[in-house]
Amino acid sequence: MTVQPAMPKCWRPESKPHKFCPGCGHGLVLKALGEAIDELGIQDRVVFGCDIGCSLLAWDFFNVDSIQTHHGRTTPVMVGIKRANPDLICIAYMGDGGGYAIGSQHLVNSASRNEKITVLLALNTVYAMTGGQMAPTTMPDQKAETSPYGRDPEESGYPTQGPEMVAAIAREGSYVARGTTVNMRQLKSYIKKALENQMEGNGFSFVEALAGCPTNWRTNAEKTWNFLQKDMPKYFKVGELKDPGANEKEGQ
Amino acid sequence: MSEKLITEEKRVFMTGNEVVAWAAVAAGAEIMYGYPITPQNEIMHYWTRLAPKYDRKFLQTEDELSAGFTTIGGVMAGRKSFTATAGPGNTLMQEPLSMAEAMRLPVVTVVQQRGGPSTATVIYSQQEVTLTTFGGNGEGMRVVYSTATHQELFDYTIKSFNVAWKYRFPTFVLGDGYQAKMRESLTLYDPEQKGVDFVPAERFVGKPGTPGVDREPGHYRNTYNVEEELYDVLQEHFADYKKMAEEVVEYDAFDTEDADVVVVSHGVVSRGAKEAVERMRKEGKKVGYFRPITLRPMPEKQLKEVADKAKKLLVVESAQGQFAKLIKDVIYGSTTEIVPLFKPGVGITTEEITAKTKEIL
Amino acid sequence: MELANQDHRVNLVDLDIVEPCYTLRPIKKQLSEQNINVIAWETKETIGLGEAGNTIKPAARWALMNEGDVVLDIGYGVEGSKTLNLIEGVDKEPNLKLYVVVNISRPMTSNVDDIIEYAKQLGIIHGLINNTHMGDETTPEIVQNGAKVVTEVAKALQIPVIATTAIRSVAKNIGNHDCMGNMVRPLDRYMPNTLW
Repeated sequence: MTVQPAMPKCWRPESKPHKFCPGCGHGLVLKALGEAIDELGIQDRVVFGCDIGCSLLAWDFFNVDSIQTHHGRTTPVMVGIKRANPDLICIAYMGDGGGYAIGSQHLVNSASRNEKITVLLALNTVYAMTGGQMAPTTMPDQKAETSPYGRDPEESGYPTQGPEMVAAIAREGSYVARGTTVNMRQLKSYIKKALENQMEGNGFSFVEALAGCPTNWRTNAEKTWNFLQKDMPKYFKVGELKDPGANEKEGQ
Repeated sequence: MSEKLITEEKRVFMTGNEVVAWAAVAAGAEIMYGYPITPQNEIMHYWTRLAPKYDRKFLQTEDELSAGFTTIGGVMAGRKSFTATAGPGNTLMQEPLSMAEAMRLPVVTVVQQRGGPSTATVIYSQQEVTLTTFGGNGEGMRVVYSTATHQELFDYTIKSFNVAWKYRFPTFVLGDGYQAKMRESLTLYDPEQKGVDFVPAERFVGKPGTPGVDREPGHYRNTYNVEEELYDVLQEHFADYKKMAEEVVEYDAFDTEDADVVVVSHGVVSRGAKEAVERMRKEGKKVGYFRPITLRPMPEKQLKEVADKAKKLLVVESAQGQFAKLIKDVIYGSTTEIVPLFKPGVGITTEEITAKTKEIL
Repeated sequence: MELANQDHRVNLVDLDIVEPCYTLRPIKKQLSEQNINVIAWETKETIGLGEAGNTIKPAARWALMNEGDVVLDIGYGVEGSKTLNLIEGVDKEPNLKLYVVVNISRPMTSNVDDIIEYAKQLGIIHGLINNTHMGDETTPEIVQNGAKVVTEVAKALQIPVIATTAIRSVAKNIGNHDCMGNMVRPLDRYMPNTLW
């Protein structure tokens, strides 16, 4: 008999095992989020919004109030809730297609208005649910269903640098970081800081998490890990880009 | 909550957009989300002037998609929320509104129609009828009030919040650029003093207690796994809608009993139609007047009765048959001739309606 | 109009950029025939703006350079009077008088306190005009009520009531002076023709 690692308390046991593919990064990102919610003791105040794409499979993932919205529109729904009831802690969860392509205007404007919500974005370089098309974040030369000969940057540009973009427009008080499912402890600490930033009313918070998609990458466990750990960080540098807490400490 | 905006009934003189803002405050709307587009802008202008004085909120969003989806957020947080739009903004607004339709969210939207297709004119039209009644990838599960006067703008804006929260279908006040910008007198009143009971808003998310411990979590979705599951959910919605229809359908009609020609119109055009029919009746002409106030749901039964009695229906609208399409749908089976008087994007005068009616009598 | 009839050279400038629906544009020709120089866009010049566009005609900016009397319609929005900042030489023109036209049937300016608050936002003003009316429903009583409120505001602000205005038929019933002793100016309405 194997011993199961404990699930975060705020996970909903009835909806487990979850609906993501084996090896999918979503489960890991949502584990980090679940642990962060538990540690902050905010299960009763969280509203979790998920997008279209694989993230929608998380609609009943937690024992928290959850809303599955439209592709790219989770951010404005969470903004609307936060504006109407500032006591709630609003988390918009999406993939890179939802955040950087169809919903990019919402991400950009929410960041620039310094909306007091948390956006958590899983980056796996493809449109996964629709069958592995090229995403804004597909790597140069990476093959996807709509870039069958590999992404040609001349033709379709370079991967979107999400946190860098958000950090460039977000004002002081916002928290921006890029974590990875390769380093779960760090990812959890980033998500926790993002949520704390919202709880303290500092401003917008944004965490991108590098996440694997073995199904669409057509990779086994080892290759998935290699891509995540070695290839993706070539374009997507892990670390914190904006941290009001750090500024404060520096100032003291 | 601050003191009331309207403490006693009074006669005033104002623009339609101003009326909508005052009505929304009077109706207890708590937050407006919006994006500028002519001719609805002054709804936001007046709302933002009034809001802080009466403890209400406003968010100007990045576009109408966001205005619609933030309004959804406001509603789900349990606040009476609304937005206002027009033309191309209404086009974008259909995406969030289809979600509201799917999830039975009581979103209130004020549409001040402008010319179309595309950017066209910022002035006036009745060309957003199809979009407002059946827009989005849905089944038209909405309530749409087409107003004709400033008094109605006030009355139906207030009513929309109640109808939306009672039946949980997205509800619209369908005005137009003329109504938006024109000045007219009307009576402002406090709805509660008039005996209107406000249907309370309820929270979808953020209810008391810890989900999974003290209560079940609210898990809301618009995605379904299988065809049958969606089908079953929709059947429930259709049944609810049908039941509601009997209670919310509204229309205005007179002199239809013995009329050879019944003039059918809606919204601001019906003002001219009404005057034309009244004048012709005085001249002894056998003409009647019918005006649906709700374009969704349509007053099907009443309209069919009228159509069966009349020899001809003159359908008058500032669009190329969008309203006529709704009429044809509900009177299917009647052999009464439909004569169109369509002027897309242009106002229609009493004289034009009179002339056309006399021509076909 | 009165000025034009007295052979003054009159320039009427449309600066209503806040809620530009009742603009002078549609009746420009009619006014021009009565010897009034109207500085406003022609509808056909404003393609892309419809008839409610709100760009400023360059000639309007230099309006004060015109010879004769200049009447500026600056709209009534909360930022209405700031529109004047767009006019060249406005701060150097000693003869410029700013009169606030008040209709107490408009809920935003329906009582003494609201009007004072509104007037204060406008900055320096030289007088009030009581233009209380209810469109076609206007009665002498409605105008007289306005006169009372506007006169009280004028006292509080220590500025004169320049006149009470009313459509000719109503003005006739009131007489030469309203119940507060303000001069009554009869109006002929041109504006009903201006809604598109």
